[in-house]
Amino acid sequence: MTDNDVLLRVDNLVKYFPIMRGLLQKQVGAVRAVDGISFDVKRGETLGLVGESGCGKSTAGRTILQLYRATSGNVNFDGTDLTTLKGEDLRKMRRKMQMIFQDPYASLNPRMTVGEIIREPLLVHNVATESEANERVKELLELVRLNPAFSSRYPHEFSGGQRQRVGIARALALQPSFIVCDEPISALDVSIQAQVVNLLEELQDKFNLTYLFIAHDLSMVRHISDRVAVMYLGVVVELTTRNELYANPLHPYSQALLSAVPVPDPVIESTRKRTILVGDVPSPANPPSGCRFRTRCPIAEAVCAESRPEFREIKPGHFVACFFAERFLQ
Amino acid sequence: MADLLLDVQGLETTFKTSEGVVHAVNGVSFGLKEGETLGVVGESGCGKSVTMLSILGLVASPPGNVKAGSAKFFDQDLLKMSRDEMRAIRGAQIGMVFQDPMTSLNPVLTVGRQLQEPLMLHLGMSKKQAESRAAELLEMVGIPNGKDRLSDYPHQFSGGMRQRVMIAMAISCSPQVLIADEPTTALDVTIQAQITDLIKRLRSELGMAIIWITHDLGVVAGLAQRVIVMYGGHIIEEAQVNELFANPAHPYTIGLIGSLPRVDDNDQRRLVSIEGLPPMLFEKPTYCPFAPRCKWVMERCWNENPVLETVAPEHRVACWADVKKERPR
Repeated sequence: MTDNDVLLRVDNLVKYFPIMRGLLQKQVGAVRAVDGISFDVKRGETLGLVGESGCGKSTAGRTILQLYRATSGNVNFDGTDLTTLKGEDLRKMRRKMQMIFQDPYASLNPRMTVGEIIREPLLVHNVATESEANERVKELLELVRLNPAFSSRYPHEFSGGQRQRVGIARALALQPSFIVCDEPISALDVSIQAQVVNLLEELQDKFNLTYLFIAHDLSMVRHISDRVAVMYLGVVVELTTRNELYANPLHPYSQALLSAVPVPDPVIESTRKRTILVGDVPSPANPPSGCRFRTRCPIAEAVCAESRPEFREIKPGHFVACFFAERFLQ
Repeated sequence: MADLLLDVQGLETTFKTSEGVVHAVNGVSFGLKEGETLGVVGESGCGKSVTMLSILGLVASPPGNVKAGSAKFFDQDLLKMSRDEMRAIRGAQIGMVFQDPMTSLNPVLTVGRQLQEPLMLHLGMSKKQAESRAAELLEMVGIPNGKDRLSDYPHQFSGGMRQRVMIAMAISCSPQVLIADEPTTALDVTIQAQITDLIKRLRSELGMAIIWITHDLGVVAGLAQRVIVMYGGHIIEEAQVNELFANPAHPYTIGLIGSLPRVDDNDQRRLVSIEGLPPMLFEKPTYCPFAPRCKWVMERCWNENPVLETVAPEHRVACWADVKKERPR
């Protein structure tokens, strides 16, 4: 892989949120939401980022886009280190990277018409005059399969799936090359999810978009991603191609996660063997020493408490952070 | 039918809203056999939760109104009961688990107190008996050191643990029926697997019948013996679980199964999506509620609302078209 194929390189990215206490708001600790993650996203690919609530996947997405400033580490986007950019330089870069949010009810301003919402990025970035922008709004609405006549309506007049289309149109307005999709379908009904996912795939083909697709739904991630990274408690524990991960998961957490997903097929469900994890995810404010997963891991040994397993390439393109991953190699 | 534990016939429920009357449930009939697990599947607004709330007498009136129907439970009609009669059954013979364990537990009472309440109320236990039974129940649903945790408040439990507490409360009086409304939807997959596993264990230990309401066909596939699919306040398909997944006959069920990506699926086929939106139900549908989104829609669908008809043993469908043969039934 030459560097030219890589659109985004995340290097040892860390994001801590301070915990303040007392009258003087002294920092007494930190929530280690993202604690040293590294991966590349290639041009035109979809990298799925999966994990359970609180694992830091959304924080990772936001920190990559500099919506949160990183505590340490680098985010190299198309040759520029975003973590060093400020002010106007950063604002210019934002044109190339956009975000689609989870909650289509909270992420659209209820006092703006859909037309105004989609037009706003064009005007903010001075890329179009008022009349050009209006033309572009029509194009964008058609692109996401909404009636262009709807541009004067308000968000509350739309259903969840339609609102998510508005969010997608807004994200596409500036012709970005990279979009972080933060759980874009989890608030939608099943039959509507497929509509939105199909639209995202279509747009990707059309505009050669690169997606970071954040989700907790492993079946949907498998469907849409080229490669998948699995996060647990602020760290990436496994990263590989879609089919490789689902066929040969090497990290005990990925294995448990995959076996927990119900398959909509009663014949398969009746014969499947599940790895049921015990307990809950520990608090990211006070994560376990060594391997983050050791408190729930079925194969943990003494060494797992002593040091943090290295995130290593165990076979070409398959990265895993576990001391004992070799055991599962086929 | 004599072997039915719960027999619901022609249930209709409406809600008055500022925009008009919403016909949430429009003539729903189904039965629940002793010891069986019945999955109720459908999207938001299809009437699956309202159906169960109506049966339990939990629809607030106004704005809600259970207009018609009957729900026979041991030769008594639940819908005709007084509040006190209903209260004696709810929580005792019929247990309930709701979606959000944080809002369905009282945040200012200890978990122990909330667990003891039904035991003392329905089973007439003394405070001491109830306390030791409550501790047993917590252990039974997989909360270690049950006795020590009785004095904890709901916020001291995680989401999955809270749902276990809810389940402990629901089964505390050994109900014949457990109604679970999206009990795992708010939980992460690994926790969801823990909870479904727990339910399976309790089911075989206690032998209760379960009505499991969900939008997740995967959960239904693993848990239910029989499935009801709801759309627009109607039951549109009903079958044994294997039959439903192998031979879905209603266009909506076919679309729903096709729109799901599968974790065990290797090829990246395009998902089959159902175009359009679910109906608003401001009028009681006189035509098939799925007609506006249906690929196989015919003239008759707009004139008459199809009724459930048997197409195979224990398999009933409400559709004018025989989708497989691409012709009217």
